[in-house]
Amino acid sequence: MSKDADLVKKLQNPALKDTAFSELLDAYQERLYWHIRKIVSTHENADDVLQNTFIRIYKNIKKFEGKSSLHTWMYRIAYNESIRFLENNNKKRYEDIDAVSESHLEVLFEDEYFDGDEIQKKLTNIIASFTEKQQRVFQMKYFDDLSFRKISEILEVSESTLKSTYYTTVKIIEEKIFL
Amino acid sequence: MEKSTENNNKQNFLEEGFKGDIFKHHKKYLGTEIPEGYFAKSKSSILNKIKEDIILDVPKKTKKQLVFWMRPQFKYMAAASLVFILCLTVWLQSSNKTNVLEETNFELFAFSDTILIESLLVDESEIEAFTDATLFNEILVKAELSEQKLDNLVLDNLILEDSLLNNYIDYGLIETLVL
Repeated sequence: MSKDADLVKKLQNPALKDTAFSELLDAYQERLYWHIRKIVSTHENADDVLQNTFIRIYKNIKKFEGKSSLHTWMYRIAYNESIRFLENNNKKRYEDIDAVSESHLEVLFEDEYFDGDEIQKKLTNIIASFTEKQQRVFQMKYFDDLSFRKISEILEVSESTLKSTYYTTVKIIEEKIFL
Repeated sequence: MEKSTENNNKQNFLEEGFKGDIFKHHKKYLGTEIPEGYFAKSKSSILNKIKEDIILDVPKKTKKQLVFWMRPQFKYMAAASLVFILCLTVWLQSSNKTNVLEETNFELFAFSDTILIESLLVDESEIEAFTDATLFNEILVKAELSEQKLDNLVLDNLILEDSLLNNYIDYGLIETLVL
């Protein structure tokens, strides 16, 4: 039995649930935090969303049927929680995407926990110029090191589309970063 | 906070990829930081929030239990007793009906016998008077009424047909005159 399958079994057993949940936090908290942070920009927002994500995981672990891996299932919850957070906190997001990208960057650069140099700011700017889908694919692949299969399960997009999207974004970054 | 200087080697940008430490990877490329000891604090905060949620959920559950008639066991019992009462009523009604029919049959038989016996004891003059009265009321009066109805019907039809005919003739005359 794999480590995750064993963990799920414990999480679905009321007697072992709390101990297993602590183990789950140790294993996945950091990875999910970074995944959320890239979507919601600031540390404060990421902290809120991370808490909501784990509370949702705790409440819904009984419903986990093992159709996907535990890792993918939790990423999907984190992704959905982040999108819900953005929708609630920035209703204008889907009305004017350019304005949103600018405000997103402003918020990010003003964040207490952002300390990027010129190159890092430039990379962030290039990523922000991508479409929503391109941003997620690049971030999940390059920063979260997820396989194309897992990203395809989370975003519900075919693997071939993801691959072409990812390589397009990498090419754009490499072209623009040192201009 | 010290500014990152790891991106000075421009040629290797994006080529290194993910090398295990997710925090360093994000810091290097995006310049993102987190407070010291954040994950330990976040873990205990998440666990506390879950405990609070469980405590808040418990009274809700007990409240639900207080409404005893909403419990599924009670519902099934109530449904079963209702069905039983319905069946009993139907069965009792059907059994009563058969008894009543049988009794009526006996009564009818007894009634017919008494009529036959009594009719033997009645005077012929009385029977004749009864038959005359019945004949007058039932046959003559009804026949007269039906005849009157028939007459009225014939008269109505005649008057209607005449008026229609007159109208038709009038219109015909007017049309021929005008044309």
